[in-house]
Amino acid sequence: MKYAKTEILVGIFLLISIIGAVVLSLKVAGLVLNGSSNSYVVHARFDNIGSLKLRAPVKIGGVLIGRVEGIRLDEKTLTPVVDLAIDAKYNQLSSESKASIQTAGIIGEQYIGITPGFYDEDLGSTYLKDGDSFTDTGSAIVLEDLIAKFAFGSQDDKKDTSAQD
Amino acid sequence: MNTPSLISIKKLWFSYEGRSIYKDVSLEIPRGKITAILGPSGTGKTTLLRLIGAQLTPQQGEVLFDGINVHKLKRSELYRLRERMSMLFQSGALFQDMTVYENVAYPLFEHTSLPEEIIHSIVMMKLEAVGMRGAYKLYPSELSGGMSRRAALARSIVLDPDLVMYDEPFVGQDPITKGVLVKLISDLNRSLGITSVVVTHDVREILDVAHYVYILAEGQVLGQGTPDEIANSQDARISQFINGDYDGPYAFHLKGSSSYLEDL
Amino acid sequence: MLELFGSLGRYSIGKVGSLGRSAIMLFHSLVGAPNFRKHFPLLVKEIYFIGVQSIIIILVSGLFIGMVLGLQGFNILKDFMATGSLGTLVALAIIRELGPVVTALLFAGRAGSALTAEIGQLKASEQLSALEMMAVDPLRRVIAPRFWAGVISMPLLSILFCVIGIYGGKFVGVDWLGLDDGIYWSAMQGNVDFASDLIPMCIKALVFAIACVWIALFNGYDCKPTSAGISSATTATVVQSSLAVLGLDFVLTALMF
Repeated sequence: MKYAKTEILVGIFLLISIIGAVVLSLKVAGLVLNGSSNSYVVHARFDNIGSLKLRAPVKIGGVLIGRVEGIRLDEKTLTPVVDLAIDAKYNQLSSESKASIQTAGIIGEQYIGITPGFYDEDLGSTYLKDGDSFTDTGSAIVLEDLIAKFAFGSQDDKKDTSAQD
Repeated sequence: MNTPSLISIKKLWFSYEGRSIYKDVSLEIPRGKITAILGPSGTGKTTLLRLIGAQLTPQQGEVLFDGINVHKLKRSELYRLRERMSMLFQSGALFQDMTVYENVAYPLFEHTSLPEEIIHSIVMMKLEAVGMRGAYKLYPSELSGGMSRRAALARSIVLDPDLVMYDEPFVGQDPITKGVLVKLISDLNRSLGITSVVVTHDVREILDVAHYVYILAEGQVLGQGTPDEIANSQDARISQFINGDYDGPYAFHLKGSSSYLEDL
Repeated sequence: MLELFGSLGRYSIGKVGSLGRSAIMLFHSLVGAPNFRKHFPLLVKEIYFIGVQSIIIILVSGLFIGMVLGLQGFNILKDFMATGSLGTLVALAIIRELGPVVTALLFAGRAGSALTAEIGQLKASEQLSALEMMAVDPLRRVIAPRFWAGVISMPLLSILFCVIGIYGGKFVGVDWLGLDDGIYWSAMQGNVDFASDLIPMCIKALVFAIACVWIALFNGYDCKPTSAGISSATTATVVQSSLAVLGLDFVLTALMF
């Protein structure tokens, strides 16, 4: 069967548009195709999550291992709980690891940094599984709190020194 | 089914954008005959055809096509009924992006699932009937006015309709083309038994072939009868129209609201 | 004073009336099962006229808008020592707003006006009436394929605009002004999200497409069948489409971001 020139051009148009969509998804949005089936979810309880957003990265030493999948408030304790979807191939995270909310640069986006803990079966530490929680967490540093602490802290220091004098 | 008239229009009232076009018009179009509808320009003769085709809806009155009120039909039923009627537009209204052959074959492609060879034969027969078989490869832009009207005629009879409506077929044609079109109208009527309605103001051409004539003016039926009756009518208005006198009951001067002297 | 109210009333009744007629037109064109054997070739032909023929203008505009964003963004971000965010700036600006909006505006000017003029011409030369009298519904034969072709083409054109715009920004920022290639892309990947940026972009493009094509087709279908009528309908298409796109853009941005 012979195809008309219009039909061929329309075909090319559709094809390059699909390629464009793929480029946008992979190269621009950094979409990773292995979806949630290949990850497990652990929870982390923080005092303050700052401006953490959904799909913020979860990193160990700067390497992306997962993303924030849910942010909610525990209604009993009134503390924020964050669900982290972690890539299934990083399945050797010790329960002693610490999850803390960190900031990329001074005004950058917030992400969750995980500091790996030691692993010792004798001391009862295990690998984190689906549904487990981090025991050790570090909350977001809120700039206002930091400034306030610094300001009041330095006043305290002055008092101390004046007392010594 | 065998009523003598294919179309009967009963007590039709129609106005468009506040202008009243038909005031209580009734007429009958006999089956298998050529009916001419004459009248001066601007009396809405084309509107009458559009009312029959239900492209326009009257304010009052009804149009019966073979006993069916066309304005009471559902959209899908109306489209099915329209397969039985066809219309030759003043401009021909051929599709500009198709050849003559494709134009004529178009209704067949849309309404039938006939194989290609049969469609080809039908199209060639219809083109032969209007004397346009040699031009099947041409595009409408390459045709003269008369040729495109003949091609459009072939397209309007390709589905063998019961009714063909001719909208001003002779406007702007040279005498030879007029003669050809008159011959085609009467041949098609005679050989295929197609009921024809010809709207025109070219009196002489149509009186030769029409079986029955209506004269419309000022939204009403001015006169009706066989061509002989019309030609010998004693009504001054009819004879002015038939003979083409410039002055008479229809004054040469349009009526003004002020007198001539005042305007000077 | 009474005349003012009267004319306002007549104007709004007229507008509401044409809105109703346009809805009826769209409804009748889209209901009913399509006949693939007959309608698919029509659709392909219309995608060619509406989509393929708009590619060049979309690509050129996208490239230049991306390059301008790259240049302006780089110069401003340099003052804050934040040129690393150039990729984010270009990508988000283009994907969230400029891509769908500018594509829709160009589309209204390039394809919408052509659609209106074409349909108006078909109407003026009695071809639409001829179709009706041939018992072929012009809404389904003429309007519907053009509608679908527009609705299919415009999101695709928006995607192409975004891709070429982001590469235009990269061309200026990376290849000309010397930003690191990896930083450009990684900043973008870290901040552009599939679900919250790309999907809304496609939704915007789709909504704009429906609005533009609908306006264009209705203006053509409803125009006065004279050359003056066609030209004023074409103007109305461009004006109404542009306003509709900008208005809808605000509403959609408020809803989705």
